[in-house]
Amino acid sequence: MASTPENTTPAVPEQTNPRAAVIGSNRIPFGKAGGAYRSASNLDMLTAALSGLVARFGLQDERLGDVSAGAVLKHSRDFNLTREAVLGSGLDPHTPAFDVQRACGTSVETVWAIANKIALGQISSGIAGGVDTTSDAPIVVSDRLRKTLLRLSRAKTIQQRLGLLTALRPGDLAPVAPNVNEPRTGLSMGEHQAITTRRWGITREAQDEIALASHRNLAAAYDDGLFDDLITPYRGLLRDESLRADTTAEKLAKLKPVFGTNGANAADASITAGNATPLSDGAATVLLGTDAWAAERGLPVLAHVVDAESAAVDFARGEEGLLMAGAYAVPRLLARQGLGLADFDFIEIHEAFASTVLTTMAAWADEEFMSSKVGLPALGEVDRSRLNVAGSSLAAGHPFAATGARIVGTLAALLHQKKLNDGAAPSVPVRGLISVCAAGGQAVAMILEA
Amino acid sequence: MSAPATEKLLSAVPGLGGLYANALAKSARLMVRAPGRGPTTTPQVTYRVDGVRPDAEQLTAYQHLLGEPASDVLPAGFVHVTGFGLAMAVMARDDFPLPLLGMVHVANSVRQREPVRIGDELTVRAWAERLRAHRSGTQVDLVVEVTRSEDVDPAWTGRSTYLAKGQTLPGLALLETDSATSSDPWPEGYGEPAVRWRLARDTGRRYAQVSGDRNPIHLSALTAKAFGFPRAIAHGMYTAARALAAVDAARVSPSEAFTWDVSFGKPVLLPSTVALSLRREGGSMQYAGWNEQSGKRHFHGALTPLP
Repeated sequence: MASTPENTTPAVPEQTNPRAAVIGSNRIPFGKAGGAYRSASNLDMLTAALSGLVARFGLQDERLGDVSAGAVLKHSRDFNLTREAVLGSGLDPHTPAFDVQRACGTSVETVWAIANKIALGQISSGIAGGVDTTSDAPIVVSDRLRKTLLRLSRAKTIQQRLGLLTALRPGDLAPVAPNVNEPRTGLSMGEHQAITTRRWGITREAQDEIALASHRNLAAAYDDGLFDDLITPYRGLLRDESLRADTTAEKLAKLKPVFGTNGANAADASITAGNATPLSDGAATVLLGTDAWAAERGLPVLAHVVDAESAAVDFARGEEGLLMAGAYAVPRLLARQGLGLADFDFIEIHEAFASTVLTTMAAWADEEFMSSKVGLPALGEVDRSRLNVAGSSLAAGHPFAATGARIVGTLAALLHQKKLNDGAAPSVPVRGLISVCAAGGQAVAMILEA
Repeated sequence: MSAPATEKLLSAVPGLGGLYANALAKSARLMVRAPGRGPTTTPQVTYRVDGVRPDAEQLTAYQHLLGEPASDVLPAGFVHVTGFGLAMAVMARDDFPLPLLGMVHVANSVRQREPVRIGDELTVRAWAERLRAHRSGTQVDLVVEVTRSEDVDPAWTGRSTYLAKGQTLPGLALLETDSATSSDPWPEGYGEPAVRWRLARDTGRRYAQVSGDRNPIHLSALTAKAFGFPRAIAHGMYTAARALAAVDAARVSPSEAFTWDVSFGKPVLLPSTVALSLRREGGSMQYAGWNEQSGKRHFHGALTPLP
């Protein structure tokens, strides 16, 4: 390999590929489990969000390059969920689609995948999204019943069939409700986060403060009309069902802890229904394309996808917190881009729990953690006035696979707005950072720029 | 100590159901026998079975129950299950000096030189040794060796230590007092659990299905009560094998050559929630299973790579 001459500036990778533009987004208001969307399926909600996007941007009968979406809790009959939604959305039926699942990071991942295809010049337009329902979650039969039924379908004689059936016990017939406990640890996400919260010494007050800000910021964003172009009402819902515009620090302080209440440390348990995300139903979509594709249709370019990074941690043997991968993904992403936290006007950290936001920020600022575990310098403190300024999952709700697309859509609108309002030179970028933690010890981080 | 030179060749590893039925009758005889009349040494015979081929279906069922991927490598706990019937046959002999039923499995130690794979043809040997007095009864070790047909040295050696509570035999030396003499690897408590198991009422029955170990103390509250337990208790080796799965042997020793030790404490009464704590120590991984409510320990042990 040729060595670089000493007195020239280091080569900056040339921007040969166009960055994908975020043109717009659409979601349905997020519902509470058992609430307004209790009888709607994943396919219903994804189709509703997609149809709304098609209507908003005049995409009726348009053939797009690709559509990618997914659901975390997905029924096996929905094996082609996104393609089915495309067929019901008003898009040209020649538009292809594929499903993706990266737990709560699903729709940051789908945005990333579509943006990469666009940046590589393989497609010029696409839609990314995600959907989840906890109200209409699939219920499965016990493993013994399932295996017996499968064997039954292969049995050749009546005797074999009878033998299989008589081996079943009453308990085998009970349905199995889905749970999102980590398969390797048996701990729920909340139990995992309770451990991480203790490890980082995060207080109840600090968590409730994040929760309060989430509700206030989301309510203010609705009042300011931010979501007028981002949301299509569905099933009578106009705003997110979990939003409590009138909640107060006192109300939040009264709630009883629900996680980390086992064992010797039960007294300092601090995660409540108020500072943890509620179980939710909903769907969100983002329209992406090249600048040229948008210009041809007279559509705006809100922001561009700059870069993204995924990370995972070794949580299964307790060596790192389940939801701490954002503490690894973001520093790696910023190092690659040569950026610091101060370069961002908006920072979006998914509020799986209020304490996830706090432990992630604490880790970024912790010299010892960053050098020993991430191998990069500490990022310093986050300017709280730039954090989740339009609310996040605590107030909006968190339909797992829809959250990333909600954040990308909201952040792109915020960046566009700021760019217009600041009246700064077009060459001065306005940047936003996203960090979304996910089950399995994962996280996806992304940079948008207007 | 080594295997008794006299070998008795069996055609297959005996099924455990019949052994327990025989053991029940024999235990009753031993309980009413006047002290000092029966044998006071372990049987001077090694049981051997050739051509043992682990069953893929049984292996899959075992791996799924223990939360392991259904790979072609036998988990060390499954090798134990494969040879367990032969060790039981030794204990069920008329000249075995202690009652099989009611004996408590107090510790287990496995040395795996190389992993055993599906398709390997195995020779299994089992014998009893190290009969010794204990302050609360008599202890004995059952040793099982598993050797691949093309090898000379065993790939896997397991030593299970049992305590017959309240049973004293004349003329036995007090070889060791207890594991209490060695220092406790968890002197400062367990910290936060890495894993939590919610063990259902039928945990013992499910493990019995994949292991063949249908000891009545594990099967139902009713049968457990007959042996002095208020409810059915989980198999010790089930809990140890789940700990082994959580530790992930291949990550401690990439060649899967290791020692896997466990000492059992308070039995796990079913249903129950068990917290598992893990701690790295040099190249090895320490583990402990405990109850978060009472703080009592169910078991502790370590997985240590062989040099």
